[in-house]
Amino acid sequence: MSAASRSTGAKTVERYSRFVAWAKVILPLAALALLSTLFLLAKPNDPEKSIPYARVDIEDRIREPRVTAPLYAGVTSDGASLSVRAISATPEPGSEGTADVDRLSATIETAEGQRFELEAPSGRVQDSVTALLDGGVTVRTSDGYRMETEAIESALNKTYLATRDTVRAEGPLGRLTAGRMEVTTDAAGGGTLMVFNEGVRLIYLPQGDEEN
Amino acid sequence: QGTTIAFGTMERDADAPVEIVSDELSINDASDTAVFSGNVVIAQNDMRLAAPRVEVIYLADRSGIDRLIATGGVTMVSGDEAAEADRADYSVEAGTVLLTGNVLMTQGRSSLVSERATINLDDGTAQMDGRVRTILQTGEN
Repeated sequence: MSAASRSTGAKTVERYSRFVAWAKVILPLAALALLSTLFLLAKPNDPEKSIPYARVDIEDRIREPRVTAPLYAGVTSDGASLSVRAISATPEPGSEGTADVDRLSATIETAEGQRFELEAPSGRVQDSVTALLDGGVTVRTSDGYRMETEAIESALNKTYLATRDTVRAEGPLGRLTAGRMEVTTDAAGGGTLMVFNEGVRLIYLPQGDEEN
Repeated sequence: QGTTIAFGTMERDADAPVEIVSDELSINDASDTAVFSGNVVIAQNDMRLAAPRVEVIYLADRSGIDRLIATGGVTMVSGDEAAEADRADYSVEAGTVLLTGNVLMTQGRSSLVSERATINLDDGTAQMDGRVRTILQTGEN
């Protein structure tokens, strides 16, 4: 290669290396500036405000403390398993184990396997010993009885059900009405005893000879 | 020897509802018994059967009542005849009533006494047997 091309070659190399030297300084500075704008310009978001929640539910709960979907389950002294489930329970302030309960259903399964299923629109658990169901109670038993009454009291520590007034029942024996009904465990023979009293009136429709 | 007499109206509607009224009814699920107690009155059509205690015997498949056992002194009225006995076994399905123990049938002025009586509600007859004696009321009372 000629001297001239070699000298111009040297100049371009020298200019190029100066360019590279400058680039090594300017480019990182530019990157730094770019990065800092990212934080400077970002919107300050306050973690407190970003979680959305409704204040209504909280005030309601503070004013009237409620338990949602409570479940009470236990075994009674005579070996029956009992569970009470409800939509909500409002404990009575200052009392232990007393609460007003909405739309509850109770299931009692005696040691012999007889089941009582009770459903009522409202009720009250008193000192976690008795539960009063009212507002129109329906009771279904495993041996085919379906009973309706206005209110019924159920002990939570033993098998004891007692209606407060007239009861209508339907079952294998036919349709019957009675002034009162009580379910207890029959101490003598074992098993549960369903006693209708204060005037029992039963209508039984015979199956008729042709059918059987 | 047995005596057959008319008792109650002729055709009985076997499907007529049976009404049982009492002071108390207790149902025990373990021993599967149901007992009416206290002024129990069983009524079907024009037949009335009253007793202090009536026990229910379920049908085999527990779908209904097979028999009603009335004990403790039973009085039974059907039409214008009346009968008394210690015990009555009323078969709802078959429509028969078996009275046992000191059976006393009164018909108008005369009455019959015997040990047992089988009343057939369908054709309104009563078959009495076991030392049947007739007591006729003579003269005006």
